[in-house]
Amino acid sequence: MDVILQNLMNGFQVAFEPINLFWVTLGGILGTIIGMLPGLGPATGVAVLLPMTYAMGPTGALITMCGVYYGAMFGGSRSSILINTPGDGAAIAATFDGYPMAMNGRAEAALAISAIASFIGGMIATVFMIFLATPVARFALKFGPAEYFLLMLMAIAMTSSMNKGNVIKGFLSMFLGLMIAMVGLDPQSGVNRFTFGSLELQSGIDFLTVIIAIYALGEVFKCFKDIREGTKKMQTKFGKIWITREDWRRTWKPILRSTPLGFLIGALPGAGGTMAALMAYNNEKNLSKNPEDFGKGEIIGLAAPEAANNASSVGALIPMLSLGIPGSGTTAVMMGALLMLGLQPGPMLFQNHPDIAWGLIASMVVGNVILAIVNIPMAGALVRVLAIPPKILYPIILGLAFIGTYAISNSVIDFYIMIVFGIVGFFMEKAKIPSAPFILAIIVGNMMEISYRQALVISDGSMGIFVGSPIAITLLALTIGSVIMPIIKSMKKSRQGSSISMK
Amino acid sequence: MSFKKTMTTLIAGTVVTAMLLTGCAGKPAAPAAGEAPAAPEVKYPEKALEFIAPAGAGGGWDTTIRTVAKTLQDTKLVSVPMPVTNKPGGGGGVALAYLEEKKGSDSIVTVYSPPLILINLNGSTPLGYKNTTPLARLIADYACFVVSKDSKYKSITEVMDALKKDPKSVKVGGTSAAGSMDHLQFLKIAKAAGVENVKEIAYISFQDGSGPAQVMGGHVDLLSTGIADAKGLMESGDLVALATTADKRIGEGKIAEIPTCKELGIDATFINWRGLFGAPEMPEHAVKFWQETLKKMSETEEWKNACKSNGWDNTFASGDEFVKFLEQENENSKMLLSEIGMLKQ
Repeated sequence: MDVILQNLMNGFQVAFEPINLFWVTLGGILGTIIGMLPGLGPATGVAVLLPMTYAMGPTGALITMCGVYYGAMFGGSRSSILINTPGDGAAIAATFDGYPMAMNGRAEAALAISAIASFIGGMIATVFMIFLATPVARFALKFGPAEYFLLMLMAIAMTSSMNKGNVIKGFLSMFLGLMIAMVGLDPQSGVNRFTFGSLELQSGIDFLTVIIAIYALGEVFKCFKDIREGTKKMQTKFGKIWITREDWRRTWKPILRSTPLGFLIGALPGAGGTMAALMAYNNEKNLSKNPEDFGKGEIIGLAAPEAANNASSVGALIPMLSLGIPGSGTTAVMMGALLMLGLQPGPMLFQNHPDIAWGLIASMVVGNVILAIVNIPMAGALVRVLAIPPKILYPIILGLAFIGTYAISNSVIDFYIMIVFGIVGFFMEKAKIPSAPFILAIIVGNMMEISYRQALVISDGSMGIFVGSPIAITLLALTIGSVIMPIIKSMKKSRQGSSISMK
Repeated sequence: MSFKKTMTTLIAGTVVTAMLLTGCAGKPAAPAAGEAPAAPEVKYPEKALEFIAPAGAGGGWDTTIRTVAKTLQDTKLVSVPMPVTNKPGGGGGVALAYLEEKKGSDSIVTVYSPPLILINLNGSTPLGYKNTTPLARLIADYACFVVSKDSKYKSITEVMDALKKDPKSVKVGGTSAAGSMDHLQFLKIAKAAGVENVKEIAYISFQDGSGPAQVMGGHVDLLSTGIADAKGLMESGDLVALATTADKRIGEGKIAEIPTCKELGIDATFINWRGLFGAPEMPEHAVKFWQETLKKMSETEEWKNACKSNGWDNTFASGDEFVKFLEQENENSKMLLSEIGMLKQ
């Protein structure tokens, strides 16, 4: 314990050097902006920084890159709340209640709670990381392919069954998403699936393109009539970016509950912020006394995923720092940068370069404070997006959507894919099919399939591997429970309903 | 009105930032193909070059080409900008298609390694090394086979003995896809060790790079990987390397303690070479420039240091030597792939 505190103090000395304070501020603000722009996620942000990092030295580079990473988690939800367009997968959950809040005239509170929840999530997760990095990394090792498959199965089953009213539509959406995830090279045998001879489709359909299409284009299509006739309402008066005492009283517990959840999921290599945020959302919805308020501007539904995705971005650093294994797409890019700077990420990093490792951890504490301070006034300016006349705002959204799509893989084919999915999203909206299961299935579908097949190769074809460990059994039970519970609930309700109508 | 002003600034700000950011991430202006002047005394390179990593940021290809760009810049061997663009997809196939599109261009330089040959032979793409202009082989990396520190296998011979009894008894993990490098390098060694039915050996691919965690957690028995990928965990003692596929001891410290397969009586090696390639039909003056410049670069202190810190062997070869090497590699890979039934004709 003393050793940890001693190291941490040394870390703070590194973090408080003026140049490092500058890097963490720069990284955080850059990350926030990158996070806000659809299509540009933290992975792109860090990749853009790569050439700059040569000049920074390892400590500066690591601090800046991590700043971009959690900065993007702060920023990603800004556009979710204001224009219903998540900047990245991890910010999808923020559209569920964040955008309705903005539509109800509570944009200020939504932006404030998202910054506050992000801050608390990031801070507590950093403390977890200081004291629990090693045990958490060891726990993550227990996850083999079978456990990963079940974890992802649980995440998509929960997301599909949380659909208000109609579980069938939720699962329909999920299966559509899984179908899209099949496009591309078969990861095991290298066979082309649904690529129609196109080399670009071999690598599959990027979920970011689909997110931009469904949300940004979808929003434009949906409001098309209002935009044209000028009847879409604008907000012209803005209040202070803060929350009420009542908001805080209701959200602090969900925030504290969602943080460890996000942290743990982030620490599992490959699971990531999107899953963390959606699971936190589902969890709070299940615990809530008024689950029907979720999706209509319930502040808890925004606070929980925001805390979880920030915590997960901290957790994702654990596999990289303690094992030298990329925990997410973003940390993979960061690892590449570290190797080029002559640093070997992994268990020896803390021994060979304690100043860098602990300097980074301390800088995350500093960075979270700076981001919270910067984000509140920034939100004050951003909220005025709602005052932009739709005839100007929506063309800008369209332009950003195209720029963001092109930035993903510099490929023109993605434009067509985006337009197709924009139309698909429009019809899904018309048919009241929820889009979250669709998108989550596209994000995890490929990994789910890979894990499933990996597990079966390991077990030589026996399904027993999916009940082969305590973790696997627990996950399976939770999955079954999450599907059955809403059905039982709705049956109970309809029975009550029918008995009332009988009278 | 001040409010209107804020609004306009905001919009302008967003658009400009977006353009700046995407500008940085995007590729530079596409080079005009076939614009190469015919004069023999041509000043080259005059404009920005386009360096391509055929995979995402952070992997082996990406690291190699970025290191090349950095070294060329630091040593002032090349003075025009060399921005690196990532063109991931199809195990390198997407970038190959791009090269084909830019046939005759003198400004594209990309990096490849054994998968260039393998993705063609296993049918992932109809394009292959013949659809490029080979410039030079720069480095060699070697494979190693690692187990968890509490594994029951203490040497590669024990692993092979177990496989000889039952080819399904050892679960082998790796990072590349089935039928690509990590898979084949293990099968090549297993075959040389006398294991029959190498086709039946269970190979599990962890393309997200989680292989080391999987072998540490005991989900697979052995990991077939590159030395650099497991270096940190070997140094900390969490993973134990049983053997490398080099023909001699390499590296320093713990890495130098790993025996080679040859020492242990298995007469086979596997080299993960990496080299640079241009677009097909790259103009003669550009090919000449790169062969000379890369040779000079491979002799600089900066490059030697980069090789040392990455654990690469500096194995420069260009011109006919490199082309012959590629042909030889192609034949060897064909044989191995046909043996495991993954060769597409």
